[in-house]
Amino acid sequence: MTTNKYSVLNTRVHNVDGYAKVTGRATYTFDVKLPGMLYGKILRSPHPHARIISIDATEALKFPGVKAVVTGKDTLGVKQGIWRRYPELCDEQILTIEKVRYIGEPVAAVAAISEEIAEQALDLIDVQYEVLPFVDDPMEAIKKEAPMIHDGVERNVNITRHIEWGDVEEAFEEADYVREDWFKLGGQAHMCMETRATVASYTPDKKLTVYTSTQSPYYHQALLAGVLGLRESDIRVIAHYVGGGFGGKFELDASQFCACVLSMKLSKPVKIVFTREEDFIATKRRTPMYYYVRTGVKKDGTFCAREARVFTNGGAYTGMGATALYLTGFFHSFPYKWKAYRYDGYRVYTNSLPSTSMRGFGAPQAMFCSEQQIDWIAADLGLDIIEIRRKNAHTSGYEVPGQATIASCGLTQCLDKIEQWIKDRGKLPKNRAIGISAAGFMSGGIFNWFDSPYSFSSAVVTINYDGVVELHVGAQDIGQGSNTTMAIICAEALGVKIENIKVHSGDTDHCPADLGAWGSRQTLMAGNATKMAAEDAKKQLLEFASAKFGYNIIYDLDIKDGWVYNVARPERGMHYTDLVKEALRGKDGQRIIGRGHYTPHRKGMISPAYSYMVQAVEAEIDVETGKLAIINCTTAHDCGQPINTLGLIGQLEGAASMAAGYGYLENMPVEDGKVMNPNLVDYKIIRAPEMPACEIIEIDTYEPEGPYGAKEAGEGLTNPTAAALGNAIFHATGLQMKQAPIMPEMIVNAFKEKKKEGGKP
Amino acid sequence: MEKQLLRFYVNDQEYELFINPKTLLVEALRDHLGFAGTKRGCDTASCGVCTVMVNGMAVKGCSVLAVQVSGMHITTVEGLEKDGKLDPVQSAFLDEGAYQCGFCTSGMLMSARAFLNETPAPKDGMEIRRGIEGNLCRCTGYNSIVRAIDSVAQGKYREGV
Amino acid sequence: MIHDFTYLRPGNVKEALAMLAEYHDSAKIICGGQSLLIIMRQGLVITEHLIDIKGLEELNYLSYDSRAGLKIGATTTHRTIEKSLLIKEKYPVLVAMEEKLASIQVRNWGTMGGNLAHADAAGDPAPVLIALNATVKVGSSAGERSVPLEDFYPGLFETVLSPDEMILEVLVPPPPAKSATAYHKFNLLESDQGIVAVAVSLSVNDAGICQNARIVLGNAAPVPIRARNTEKLLIGKKLNEKIFTKAGETAGEEADPVADIHASEDYRRHLISILTRRMTKEAWNQACQA
Repeated sequence: MTTNKYSVLNTRVHNVDGYAKVTGRATYTFDVKLPGMLYGKILRSPHPHARIISIDATEALKFPGVKAVVTGKDTLGVKQGIWRRYPELCDEQILTIEKVRYIGEPVAAVAAISEEIAEQALDLIDVQYEVLPFVDDPMEAIKKEAPMIHDGVERNVNITRHIEWGDVEEAFEEADYVREDWFKLGGQAHMCMETRATVASYTPDKKLTVYTSTQSPYYHQALLAGVLGLRESDIRVIAHYVGGGFGGKFELDASQFCACVLSMKLSKPVKIVFTREEDFIATKRRTPMYYYVRTGVKKDGTFCAREARVFTNGGAYTGMGATALYLTGFFHSFPYKWKAYRYDGYRVYTNSLPSTSMRGFGAPQAMFCSEQQIDWIAADLGLDIIEIRRKNAHTSGYEVPGQATIASCGLTQCLDKIEQWIKDRGKLPKNRAIGISAAGFMSGGIFNWFDSPYSFSSAVVTINYDGVVELHVGAQDIGQGSNTTMAIICAEALGVKIENIKVHSGDTDHCPADLGAWGSRQTLMAGNATKMAAEDAKKQLLEFASAKFGYNIIYDLDIKDGWVYNVARPERGMHYTDLVKEALRGKDGQRIIGRGHYTPHRKGMISPAYSYMVQAVEAEIDVETGKLAIINCTTAHDCGQPINTLGLIGQLEGAASMAAGYGYLENMPVEDGKVMNPNLVDYKIIRAPEMPACEIIEIDTYEPEGPYGAKEAGEGLTNPTAAALGNAIFHATGLQMKQAPIMPEMIVNAFKEKKKEGGKP
Repeated sequence: MEKQLLRFYVNDQEYELFINPKTLLVEALRDHLGFAGTKRGCDTASCGVCTVMVNGMAVKGCSVLAVQVSGMHITTVEGLEKDGKLDPVQSAFLDEGAYQCGFCTSGMLMSARAFLNETPAPKDGMEIRRGIEGNLCRCTGYNSIVRAIDSVAQGKYREGV
Repeated sequence: MIHDFTYLRPGNVKEALAMLAEYHDSAKIICGGQSLLIIMRQGLVITEHLIDIKGLEELNYLSYDSRAGLKIGATTTHRTIEKSLLIKEKYPVLVAMEEKLASIQVRNWGTMGGNLAHADAAGDPAPVLIALNATVKVGSSAGERSVPLEDFYPGLFETVLSPDEMILEVLVPPPPAKSATAYHKFNLLESDQGIVAVAVSLSVNDAGICQNARIVLGNAAPVPIRARNTEKLLIGKKLNEKIFTKAGETAGEEADPVADIHASEDYRRHLISILTRRMTKEAWNQACQA
C-alpha cells in the first residue's frame, strides 16, 4: 500500500458512535419508552392463502387492559410498495382486508397496557377464513392451473426483466464449447440482532413521531404519509441507533404501520417489537431463485455467449423484488466481457413470505451459478482458473453494452494477487482445497424507483464558534459506520481533526432527506454530498482568510490538521479556530453553513461506480459426513480509496460471515408456505469458533465519481463467498454442487450419485 | 400469584424489588431498574445479547428468574466502567472497531470480561473464540472481537503500559 | 409468555421433597432453568407451583472414591463439571462433552440434574453417562431409589420420575482398568446439540480381547439407546478395522431415527454408522493404551 497522503482518511479512527455502544448508552428503538406508552401485538394468518370472511374483536376488546383492536378496515386500505413509481408493483396492503397470501400475514393488531395482555388478547380475536388452495414454489405457481394469488396477475408473474446485448445465437455458434446447468438458490433471513421495532406517537394536532429500526428514515416518512393520509412533513422518523438492517429494513413493515394506526386511534404512544419468530416468518427475506445458465466459450477460454433464465420466488408481495430481479441478471454478467449476453428473469408470486433485498441484492445468487460454472468449464477444457478469468475480465473504460461504463477497475490486479496468494499457500492436505470467485458490485443505484423529488443525498455543514462542525446528513448508520465515514470525509475536506465533527443523522426533523442505507450507496453518494458541503463551508471560511492575508483564495490557501495556510509557504497561516471566530465576526454573528448534495447524472443505467474483488476460500471437507469447515477467506479487494479503515475491515469480515452462512449454514426450508426453522436453534448463524481467518489485500485504484476516489465496500463482499466455497468443494472432491446453501447431506448424496454413475462428474 | 421480595446487587449497588416471581433477570434489570444496556434478541436463549455477570459468571439474563439471584452480585455493561474510566475490554473494542450496529455489544463485552477474568492468558485464538461462542454477532464476523480480547490478554491495557 | 405460578423455595432437600409430596403434579421443579424457562415461555409448560431448588447447596457437590465412583449432586452446574480436574483425570470424556454443551452462559447456570430431568432426545450428557453405566439416585419423602440411566427414559421428554420425586444425584462407577470412552456429536456448529451422537465405552483385558462394550446412540431414537447388537459384535474379540466398519453398519441398522429439517432418516443412519465406526476405533485405541 502506498503511504497515506491523507490526514483522516484511511486511518484507524474510532467509530464516532463507539463510546455510546461500548458503554451501553446507545438507545435503540428497542429501548425507547415514552410516558403513557401502550404495547402492540399483531394477529397473523395461520393460512398461506385464504379469504378473510370476518374478524370479530368483541371479546378481545372486553379483556381488561386492552385499549384498541384494529384491522384493515380501520385503515385507508392503501396498497403500498416501495417501488412507488410503478403503482402496479405497490401491491401490499399491510393489515390486509380481502385475503391473506402468506402464513404470518398481519390481519389485526391490538394495543394494551402490557405486552402480556396484548398477546393474550390475540387469542380472543375471532377470524373466519375461507381457506384457498395455495402454491409455494415458483415453478408450480407459474403453471396455468395454479391458484391466482393477486387478481389479474396471470400465471402469478408479477415482474419480468430482460437484459440483452449482441447476437446470442450467433455467438453460441462461434463457441467451441457450450455448457448448461441448472441451479437452485435458497432464501436467507436478514436476522438483524435487533428485531423489527417501532414506537409510534400520534397527537391530535395530526403530528406523528415514529421511532423505528430503519435503514432509511426518509423512506419511512414518505411511505407512512402515503398510507396514513398525513402530510409527509408532519411525520418525524427517528432512528438514532439501529441494530442491523442488511436490506430488510427500508420498506414499510407491520411494526411501523400497526403501531402508527393504533397510535392514531388512541392518541397514545404504541410500541411494537417483533419476537424473533415473527422476524423469521413475517419479514421479507433474500430471494430464492431457480437459475438456468448456458455458456459458450472458445477453447482458449474466451467467453462468447451466455444465456440465463431465472425464476425467482417472489413470495406474496413485490417489495424490493423488482430490483433484485434486475440486479441478479445484471451481475450475472459480472465481472466479464461477454460478446453476447441474454438474461430473462421472471419474478413469480407464491404463498410464502415475500422476498426482497438482502445484502448482495441478487448478486450472491448470480455468482454462485456463474463462478462455479466457469470453474467447471475451465476443468472441462483443461484451462487455468485464474487465466480464464483474466482473459475476459472487465477493465477500466469497458462499456457493459447499454448498461454501464466501468470507470475504475482493479479486477486484473485482484486476480494477480490471489493467483500469488494461492501459489504461496502451497500444497494443501487431502480433502482441503481453495476455490475462488471474482465479483463486482454497484456503489448505489441510479434508477429513482422510489420517485423521490429530493437529491439522492444531501448534507449540511455548520461551523460553531469553537470550530466544532455540526454535520447533518440523511445517510443512516445501521452499524456499517456511515456516521464515521461521513465524519472522516468532512474532517478531511474541511482540514480539521475528526474530533471536531459532530454527526447528526437518523432524524427527519433535523436532517436532510437521503435515500438511506441500501445498495451500497452511502459512501459514494452521501460521501460526495458531505464532501461538497464541507468544501462549500471551507471556501466560505477561506474567503475571510484570503481577505486577512491578501492571498488568492482558490490557489493559495488550504486547511490541514486545523491549520489554515498558504500552500506555497505553509508556515504562514493561522489556526482554524481563530479563522472561524473571524468569520463569525465578519458575518454578523452568523455561522458559516455549507451545503452539499449528490444525485448521479448520466452514469448509465445501474450505478455510478463498481467495486471489484476476487476471493479465495480455503475449505476442508469430511468426505464421509459431508461436513464443511472454512479455514481461510482471503480477498483481494478494490474499493477505490478506503475511507474508514476499521469500518472496511469490519465490513469485509462481516460480509464474509453472512455470505459463508448463505454458502453452507443458513438453510431456510419453507414447506407448504411455512418457515420450518423460525428460531436461532434451528436456523444456523455462524459463531466465533467456525469463523475463518479473513485476510484482505487492498488494491489501489481511484474512482473518479467517488469522494476521494472511494467506492463501495461491504455489500459486494457478500457476492463471492458461496461460489468460492462451491469451487473449493469442486477442487477437493470433483463434486458440482448446484444448490445453495450446501448442506452436508447434499454432499453425501452427491458422492452417492457420483459413485452410481461410475465416478463421472 | 404472590409477589416476591428480591434484594440483590447490581453494579455494586443494592436494590430491592417486589416482583412477580416469573420476572426474568433481564426484565428486572431493564424494566424495573432501567439498565437498558442489556438487550433481548431471541426467545430460545440462543443469541446472548442478554448476557450479564452473576457473581462473576457470564449468564443469559433471559434464562434466569430474577428471584434466583437474591443476594447475588450482578454486573451489567453499565458496571464495566469505573468512575468514568473504561474497562480494558471496552477500550480494546474501541481500538479494534469490534462492533458495528452495537446491539450485541453489551452482551459480548460481558462475555469477554467474564472470559478474561477466568482465563487471563488464553493459549490461542480458538480458546478466545470458544469464550464468546454463546454470543451471536451478525455484523462483525467476530474476528475484530477476538482481536480486541486478545489485545487485552496480551497486556496492551495494563496500568502503566 | 410465562403463565403465573406460586413460587416456592425450599431451604433443604427434606423441605423440597415435602413440597413435592404435597403438590406433586401441580408442581414443577426449576433448577438452572436453561431448558425449562424456554418451554415455559412458549406456553408448553404451565404449572401452579414452581419449586426452586437452584439454591440447594446440599446437592451441589462432586466427589470420588475408588469404590463407589463419581458422585455428581443434582444441582451441580455443567461448568463445575467442565472445570473439575478430578473429572478430567478420571472421566475425561465427561469434560470433553461439557466443553461443547450449549454455551458458557448455559453451563454456568444450568445443572446436570436439570438436564437429565428434561429428557431431551438430543441432550448431550445422557449418551455419555449411559456409556459410563451411570445410575440416577432419585428421592421422595418416602425414600430413595436408584435407577440405571439407561432405564430412566421410557419415551421422548419422559422420565420414570413420579410427580413426588426428584433427582438427587448421578453416580458414575469407577472406570474399569484398561477402558476408555469416546464420544462425538455431529453438528454444523460445534456447541449445537447433535444431529446424532455416539458414545462408545470399551474395556479390554490383558490378552487384548474386548471384554465389555457399551455403545449408546444419541438422537437416533426418541430416547438414547444402547446398540446391543453392535456391542455383541465386539465382545470377546480383538478389534480391527474390519470389525470397526461392521460395528458402524450394525449401529446404523439398530438406530431408529426420525427425519426433521436437519437430516433425513437415511442420513442419520449414515452418520450413526460413521460415528460408531470412528468412536469404536478411538475407544479401542485408547483402552489398549490405558
